[in-house]
Amino acid sequence: MALPRLPAMSVGLLLASASTGAPAGDRELGEYLSAECVTCHQISGHETGAVPRITGWPDDHFVAVMNAYKDKHRDNPIMQTIAGRLAAEEIEALAAYFGAVQSQSVAK
Amino acid sequence: MDFNRRQLLTGTAALAGTMMLGSPAVLAQAKPRVVVIGGGAGGTTAARYIAKDSAGAIAVTLVEPNANYQTCFHSNLYLGGVRDYASITHEYTALTKNNGIELVRDRATMIDRDKKEVVLAGGRRLPYDRLVVSPGIDLKYDSVPGWSQAAEEAMPHAWKPGAQTLLLRKRLDAVPNGGVIVMIAPPNPYRCPPGPYERVSMMAHSLKAAGKDRCKIFVIDPKETFSKQGLFQEGWEKHYKGMVEWLGPKVHDGVKSVDAASGTVVTGFETYKNAALVNVIPAQMAGAIARDSGLANASGFCAIDPSSMKSAVDANIYVLGDACIAGDMPKSAFSANSQAKVAAMMIRGELVAARTFPARYTNTCWSLIDTDDCVKVGGAYEAKDGKIAASSTFVSKTGETAELRKQQQAENMGWYAGITADMLG
Repeated sequence: MALPRLPAMSVGLLLASASTGAPAGDRELGEYLSAECVTCHQISGHETGAVPRITGWPDDHFVAVMNAYKDKHRDNPIMQTIAGRLAAEEIEALAAYFGAVQSQSVAK
Repeated sequence: MDFNRRQLLTGTAALAGTMMLGSPAVLAQAKPRVVVIGGGAGGTTAARYIAKDSAGAIAVTLVEPNANYQTCFHSNLYLGGVRDYASITHEYTALTKNNGIELVRDRATMIDRDKKEVVLAGGRRLPYDRLVVSPGIDLKYDSVPGWSQAAEEAMPHAWKPGAQTLLLRKRLDAVPNGGVIVMIAPPNPYRCPPGPYERVSMMAHSLKAAGKDRCKIFVIDPKETFSKQGLFQEGWEKHYKGMVEWLGPKVHDGVKSVDAASGTVVTGFETYKNAALVNVIPAQMAGAIARDSGLANASGFCAIDPSSMKSAVDANIYVLGDACIAGDMPKSAFSANSQAKVAAMMIRGELVAARTFPARYTNTCWSLIDTDDCVKVGGAYEAKDGKIAASSTFVSKTGETAELRKQQQAENMGWYAGITADMLG
């Protein structure tokens, strides 16, 4: 009965140990939440039209921009809707996840 | 006890191994199998996310009869001459190669739910542990009196992509100046709620660009209201004055009959004779494989658990996209893509004990009215009160600046590149 619980617990421990010096955000949660973003924002870092690259940003910059949408200081209604339902730790998780994609997207 | 302990240790070792590759947790066991029916927005996204995020721990097979994929989304832009056909045509090669997905070029004809096998037209049977059904829509050919499958050449629907899309464009290009076009719009629920009205806009755009501004498009609509109505009607008045006339059911009193041979549409209000083009967008239902397998209810669409996208009638099957009943979410590629990610996560949770999170969904639909005049509608959704319910929605406003509308078209193009990469990358 305890078997199914093991992987999730272990993942948590391994992530914690692997993330020394990394941002505070839960990267696995960030990866799940990121699926919502990458319908428009390409994970490869490619930019098309008016949809900017969101990979490889510094954490604090990512969090500040998302909070600006959440607080409706920035005015795109799509981003206000997306950011509006994200809790602070979810925005941190996304920042951690997309921030770590940097090395792939910057590569030529 | 020994057995359990050994399993635990094996599981941990496998886990440590996959973590080094940056992959999710995998239990050491026979490789589970997922079959996905339908290579559209829902099916490709589900196949890709299950394969990619399980890093080979789940065998994924995609069943799709077509060699190439033409997107229904942005096919109106092809009609209007804003995009070319090659740009809305995609291959499955990168999807299968990059993610280790087996593509089976065949049509699924039956689901043996007791044996958990998909039966293909070619006779092959594909066993599955979990099945994703994302077949899109079928057309109700008998929903418009006098129209039929045999009449779809003379009066095209172009509500499924491919040959019909090309045919409608060809027919539009052949309409003479002063010619009459009649669109019979569909009743709810149907694929792409703003689609018919974006199509009217793109038809008018194409006619006007060709100097055929004496043409007239009549929209015979069974609905009292339609998606983004104020925005479209404002746009038609602004860009195509006198070219578009929308008629609701109280005015036209229903379509009584159509005659493909003579291009005639008879409504309770008026008879349109010798129309240069009649575009019939009929009532719709879930694709045959879903209905024939008992996954659809009396509505013709498939009920799902809003917290997982799992079929309400079969715990081993997930139904995505236009074929499912998604509550407040519209039938759109964006919705199907969003639903597929929830299903993929839940399937990985069931098959390889991956971590799962509460389902959340998103949708946005952009519609192009004229060059650089684009509007949008969308929302965020979650499982609530037994359905997928909107938690927040937005829609463009009338009277927006040209600059904002242009920016929204640039978003629209960015989204297209994004979602096709997300589905097929």
